[in-house]
Order: sequence, then C-alpha cells, then structure tokens
Amino acid sequence: MRNIILEKIVKLFLNVMLIFSVYLLFRGHNNPGGGFIAGIIAATGFIFYAIIFGTGSVKKMIGLSSRKWMGLGLLVVLVTAILPVFFSKEVLTSLWVPGDFPLLGALHIGTPLLFDSGVFLVVSGMILTIVISIMEVLEWN
Amino acid sequence: MILPALLLIPFLYIILAILIKSKKVKTWLSFAFSLINLGFAIWVMAQVFEVGMIKTQMGSWPAPFGITLVADRFSAFMLLVSALVFAVVTLYSIQSVDTARIKNGYFLFAHGILMGVNGSFLAGDLFNLYVWFEVMLMGSFILISFGGERAQLEGAIKYLILNLISSFFFVAGIGILYGKMGTLNMADLSQKIAQSGDVLSQLSPAMVLIVVGFAIKGALFPFFFWLPASYHTPPPAVTALFAGLLTKVGIYSLIRIYTLFLYHSTSFWNPVVLWIGILSMVIGVFSASSQYDFRKILSFHIISQLGYVVIGLAFYTVAGLAAAIFFLGHNMISKTNAFLVAGWVHRERQTLNLKVLGDMFKKNTLWGVLFFISAFSLAGLPPLSGFIGKYLVIKAGIESGHVSVALVALFVGFFTLFSMVKIWIEVFWKNTPPEVEAPVNTKPLPHGLMISASVILALAIVGMGVFAGPVVNYCEMAASDLLNTELYINFVLK
Repeated sequence: MRNIILEKIVKLFLNVMLIFSVYLLFRGHNNPGGGFIAGIIAATGFIFYAIIFGTGSVKKMIGLSSRKWMGLGLLVVLVTAILPVFFSKEVLTSLWVPGDFPLLGALHIGTPLLFDSGVFLVVSGMILTIVISIMEVLEWN
Repeated sequence: MILPALLLIPFLYIILAILIKSKKVKTWLSFAFSLINLGFAIWVMAQVFEVGMIKTQMGSWPAPFGITLVADRFSAFMLLVSALVFAVVTLYSIQSVDTARIKNGYFLFAHGILMGVNGSFLAGDLFNLYVWFEVMLMGSFILISFGGERAQLEGAIKYLILNLISSFFFVAGIGILYGKMGTLNMADLSQKIAQSGDVLSQLSPAMVLIVVGFAIKGALFPFFFWLPASYHTPPPAVTALFAGLLTKVGIYSLIRIYTLFLYHSTSFWNPVVLWIGILSMVIGVFSASSQYDFRKILSFHIISQLGYVVIGLAFYTVAGLAAAIFFLGHNMISKTNAFLVAGWVHRERQTLNLKVLGDMFKKNTLWGVLFFISAFSLAGLPPLSGFIGKYLVIKAGIESGHVSVALVALFVGFFTLFSMVKIWIEVFWKNTPPEVEAPVNTKPLPHGLMISASVILALAIVGMGVFAGPVVNYCEMAASDLLNTELYINFVLK
C-alpha cells in the first residue's frame, strides 16, 4: 500500500539530511563535524529512503554501486596523503590554497577538506553497502 | 620518503581491488604489488645498511607529538623477510586458493594484513603500533573465517576472541602508561622512564598488561592455546601467511618493548621471559609430538620455535639478541615453506591426517625434497638456516652462563627432529595404508606456480644457511643497535 504522506516526508528528510551532512563536512577540522559524522548522516538519509522505496531505488539514485563509492573515497584519501610529496613535503602534510577569492572573500581551502571528503565517501559507502546487503538478504520491503 | 611507501603500496592495491572487477587483473596485480613491496623493502634495507636508521615524520609534525615512522636495522630485516614471505605466498595463492575466495577479495584482505605488518614494523609510537595490530587483525579475522566452512568458523571464533582479548590488554596497558607518563612516542617514553627512576614499582601494571598482550599475539606459554586451535582450519595458503607473519609481529613488538622499556628492570624481567621461553619451547614440542595432523604438528612447532627467539632475548647480550633476530628470520621462511608443502598435500589428497596419508614422495619427488629442506631446517640440520639459528642461540646461552638453558634448547631440537621425521615417514615415505581407498584424482592437479613459490623459499633457506656469515654480521649490528637505547632515542627525537 502506498502511503503518500510517508513518501513525501522521506523525500524531504533525505534532502535535509544531505544538506546537513554537507554543512557538517565543511564545518569540520576547526569545529565539531567532519567527514566521518557527515558520512553517517548522509547514509542515514539514504537508509530511510531505502526502507520506504526499496533498495533498488537507492541504488539507482547513487549511480555507482556503494562499493565503488567506498573505493573512490579511499582513492581520494590516498591522493591527499601523497599530494604533499610533489611539493617536497612529508606525506600527509596539510597544504593550503593561499589568498582571497573574488566574491567569496577569504577562504581556507586545503587538503584537510579533501581528506574529509574522502572519509565522507568511505563512511557513507561502507554503511550503505552493509545495510543494503542486509536488507536484500532479509528481503525487507 | 620511502617509509610511507611501504604502507601506501598495499593501500593502493586495496583501492584497486575494490574498483577493478576482473578477477584475472586483480590476481596478477596482487602479485605485482607484492613484488613492488619487496622492492621497496630491499631499498629500505639498502638505505638502513648504510646509515643505520631512517625516519619519517608524518604530516611534518615533530617527533614526540606527531606520528613517527622509524626503521632501524632490526625493522628493516623484518620488513625484508616478511615482504619475501608475502610475495611467495601470493604467488602460491594464485593457484592454491579456490576461485570463490579469490573472487570475493582474498587478495584484498591479504594486502590488508601486509599493510598492518609493515606498519607494525615501522611504528614509532605505542598507539600506532596498536592501530597497525588492529589493521592486521581485521584482515586476518576475515581471511580465517572466509568461506564459512564449519570447522573454519569454529577455529575463527577462538582466534577472534583471544586476539580481541589481547588487544584489550595491550590498549589498557597503553592507557595506564599514557596516564602516568603523558607521552606514547616510544623514544620519548623510554627517555622519560630512564629519567624517572624506580621504574618497576611505578610502571609494573602497564608493562605487565602490554607484555601479556604481546605474549597472546605471539602465542607464547601460557597463552598459546588459540594458535593450534585455529591454524589448521583455513585454506593452507592462509595458514602459511599467518604462520609466516602474524605471531612474529607479536615477538617483534616484545623485543622492541624489552630493549626500550623493560631493560631497566632486568632482574625482574629476564627470568620471567627466560621461563616463558623455556616453557614455550618444551611444551610446544611435546604437544607437537602427540599430534597426528600435518598442520597441527607444524602449528605446535611455531610455539616451540618462538621459544628459541624469546630465550635469545632473555639472555640479553649482543650475541643473544643477534641469535633471536636471525632465528626469527629463519623461522618465518622455513615455517611458511613447511606450510606450503602441507598445502600441496592437502590439495592432492583432501586430508592432512598422517594416518591415511602416504606415498607422496613417489607422487612428486620435488615436493618431497622441498619438505625435506624446510622440515630439517626447522629441526636444525646443517647446512640449512635452522642449524645456524640454533647454533647461535645455544652459543649465546653458554656464553652468558645459561648452560642448562642451552642444554634444554639442544634437547628440544631432538624432539623437533623426531616430529619432522614422523611427518616425513608418515606422509612421504610409507605406503598408503591398504584400507584407505586410492585417491580419486589420479591426474595431478596443476601446481607449477605453487612449486615455484616453494622453490624460492627453499633457496632462501639454503642461502641463509650457506651464506650465513653476512646475515649473522648484520644481525649482530642490529642487536648492538637495539642494545644501544640512547642511539634510538637521540635519532628519533633530534
């Protein structure tokens, strides 16, 4: 049986969760937040969506399989780790893009954000992989 | 710059294994990456040979605060031997491990273990040592329970629970130590302990917890029981990998802790470690001689052989430590090779029960010779590496005044020989018992890669025995570096 109210709420909920997770991702490093917690929150949104609409629709929505998502996240982390080597610094040293940007003002953009994005992908991919496989095995919904 | 590469190479393989779908590409990439890892290990060895020690401060944070990777002569030796063992086992696994396991990421988790092992050998602070232990254990938990056969899961649960307990002890010890000293960098910690004086009464609980954690990981008496209960259940290639790498990391950490922290209170720790070593040796070898399963005998021998390493450490002289390091290297190679032969027997006959085996020498002479080399190297026959290892341990024992311990070591050697001769006669020499029906597959299975892997290790065993001079010299240099704690502290902190 379709439950339109529930469907609408879950769609809204997913959007809220994703926006909130991106907010936490950008907030990290200096304030509470960061890639790990953002990844968990994004994954939670997708899990609610999967409970109502089925795992197939989530898979379609995220495009790549969640396993690949995990791999891409690890790749981003690896790139951040070895990027400083090309600037003759030690592995994992933070690099910062200097200066002011037109319109945006002073920004702190650097490899920690990239690293956090990698962690975000790994964590959300990991949780989605686990939960989707469990839901498929149990033939939930 | 080259130390992080040893961590990033397995990591890169893990990423590729997740992203790439083709089974064939994954398999051969795994072998290629294990060779690259071996190349880097040789490079580290070459560098360390010249300058003595190298270090990297990850993220450019200076030593007591950031994550430090340090390689001294001992770590470089261990890195090289473990890289060799890993490359050989990877080559062996290509043919030995079944398709389903390879498809589901066998090599991915094997590289996870490699990453953990490399990290443990390089870690410059206690907490990172713990983290790398966990990385290694996660990979090994998956590999040991992978496939989900009934016996395998039973072994896996024992393995998992006891290793989790040991991790708990280790991390509890770290917590107490950090509360007392306010640092976890090993060099800094060693310096602070040396300055504070009155170490034993102050640090005893933390050190006891850490040593017990390592003793469980290293399968020493009285904490060895998880090893023979679990090592005979997974596929033989997995057992070979575990036998070659995992327990040795526990012993490596014990030696590292001993030479940095425990040496202040040798009057307490030397007898304790000595007795742990003697009892591991004797009980391991006696339990082995009562077993009738190929892999169980070898598993009990792991315990007995690690006893030799530990008594070498307990002598606490340059000769004793050099003997321990040499023995560790020899044991990793010989033990892995013995398990590789067991894997071939298992593949041919689907069983490793000595009572129903037989005739294997007729089936393939070369495998018989390979078993002969590794088994009699373990038993300590010249000119193989085991002879040199035992000779060094016994000589160091006599020189440091532990004649009775040296005699026990000699006596244990005879029993090792007994077990190895038993396997040799039961598996390779005697005829298959008539009541056992003839094996179903008369056509030999392909084993070209398996045999080349085993030949490489056998050559390494013979090479380590015949050209022992340079290796022993290197081990002596490594041992005197280890005993010179100031050198390590100054190098890391300055």
